[in-house]
Amino acid sequence: MTRGQGVLRGHGLLLRRAQRRILDGVDLALAPGEILALLGANGAGKTTLLRCLLGLLKPHGGTVSLDGTSLATLSRRALARRIAYVPQAHVAPFPYSVREVVGLGRLPHHGPFAAPGAADREAVETAIAQLGIGALAGRPYTELSGGERQLTLIARALAQGARILIMDEPVSGLDFGHQMRLLACLERLAADGYGILKTTHHPDHALACASRVALLQEGRIVADGTPTEVLTTDAIRRLYRVEVEILRSPAGRSAFVPAG
Amino acid sequence: MTHPLAQPSPTHTAGAPRRGAFALLPALALLLGAVTLVALGSGRYPLNATDVLRFFASAAGAPSLDPERHDLLYNLLVEIRLPRVLAAILVGAALAVSGAAFQGVFRNPLVSPNLLGVLSGAAFGAAAGMLLGGSWLLVQVSAFACGLAAVAIAVTIARTFGQGSLIMLILGGIVSGALFAALLSLVKYVADPYNELPAIIIWLMGSLASVHIRDVLWVSLPMGLAIVALCAAGRWLDALAMGDDEARSLGVPVGTVRYMVIGCATLLGALTVSLAGMIGWVGLIVPHVARLLCGPGHALLLPASALLGASFLLAADLLARSLTGSEIPIGIVTELLGIPVFLLVLHRARNGWGR
Repeated sequence: MTRGQGVLRGHGLLLRRAQRRILDGVDLALAPGEILALLGANGAGKTTLLRCLLGLLKPHGGTVSLDGTSLATLSRRALARRIAYVPQAHVAPFPYSVREVVGLGRLPHHGPFAAPGAADREAVETAIAQLGIGALAGRPYTELSGGERQLTLIARALAQGARILIMDEPVSGLDFGHQMRLLACLERLAADGYGILKTTHHPDHALACASRVALLQEGRIVADGTPTEVLTTDAIRRLYRVEVEILRSPAGRSAFVPAG
Repeated sequence: MTHPLAQPSPTHTAGAPRRGAFALLPALALLLGAVTLVALGSGRYPLNATDVLRFFASAAGAPSLDPERHDLLYNLLVEIRLPRVLAAILVGAALAVSGAAFQGVFRNPLVSPNLLGVLSGAAFGAAAGMLLGGSWLLVQVSAFACGLAAVAIAVTIARTFGQGSLIMLILGGIVSGALFAALLSLVKYVADPYNELPAIIIWLMGSLASVHIRDVLWVSLPMGLAIVALCAAGRWLDALAMGDDEARSLGVPVGTVRYMVIGCATLLGALTVSLAGMIGWVGLIVPHVARLLCGPGHALLLPASALLGASFLLAADLLARSLTGSEIPIGIVTELLGIPVFLLVLHRARNGWGR
């Protein structure tokens, strides 16, 4: 299977809903090996942008392309083998086991009418091992904690074989330890060549774990660059309308704290 | 990986994989076979399982019965009992599969096949057919057509007001079900209280007593096709249970699959009413019991529900015709049987809708 480079690019994305421009000419690209953090206030259009980039929502203007091919020309199944969606951890209505949930990632490969084969089972076990959730594999997904559910959904994305991961607030609802471990996991995946786009509400997480940061405000990308370039106290003040100052640890890490 | 991300809580028991899950289907098929033998042997002229088996062996070519006895058994088994047994198997399997498919597509384990109003519509259609003094064929066709119409109304409401979202489908089903329930009341009100009304009420309670082999063979083809189509869509239903966006990102054509499943399940529901009247609870409880046996994966759950539903309705029909000297409507039996079974399921499933 030829994978190409795996560059996902949204160009001039325009989306209106009830006369309001949710996206107003968004340009955003994601390259392999990158962790791109997308920040924006509530209602800035983050989720809408994510859904456009996943091909779930057709923009009213502009294009989304994968290595130069428009998403609109790719079948859903072909797309599912290239781009994986990691939603926020949710509650499933039925008690699927963790292994069954991860196995759903193989659906675009074996198709709906065939049983999963040996290659599919191997991909599932590899993904489970990669995220270190082997001990959970037989447990019902419905009985897991939020963090464990999030790990299961990431494992499903890896089993999908896609090299582009689109994550909607992957660390929301996780305790501090799970957050830190998850961010470290994302860094390892990026080092392996996965391209990761994640939305986040925490500028600190973008500072700690992102190779690029984009700020979305009123449907436009107002800044796009390295974390240190983009995440200034001024930018945070404009984005969230709060006063902050930046602290730097002796080890070179930074974090925002309320000013005054 | 050196640092496992997950820190499993110490209390959990390492879950056993659902080992031997596919051995379940042969086991359920055997159960159905056993119940079928008992059902064929039961009645005013009881036969034991060996008699039944010996008859079918001789019908298949082994000449082990004397002709007179063969003729007697042929009349008893093939002409009297077999149509009813086949109808119970078909209706039970159809109701259970359509219930399981509805629960999957609506992501809710409490959904019954009547969610979009198919049974209400079909009940009205049958009652209206009887009121018009129609033939048996008219009653069946009218039940079937009104069942489809009720679901078409629900789907149209959902597409007109809510872009076909799940919640609008459910609300559309409530509206459509209420409409046909009101129309059914109207039919009952204007029906002649001495002949038509009792006939309508008895028919609505459900019965397999008056099915003809011709009807059974006639509906078995569309029912069989719809059951097979739903079973084939099992893996899609698993993805759909995760949510529309996720299912799409897993390569599932969500809209097509949803309407295909609703279409097949509606067809099954309407056909069961036209064959046997209103039979409640099967579509709700059988998928639950099946889920306890084989887990929630629809690829296994749907065929398991079909086999279990067939056995359940066959057993219910056996009770309906043998508990008392005269028949009890089977709808009453399934409701009475269904309640304790459902309580048992609730007891087992307190922690999540679980195994």
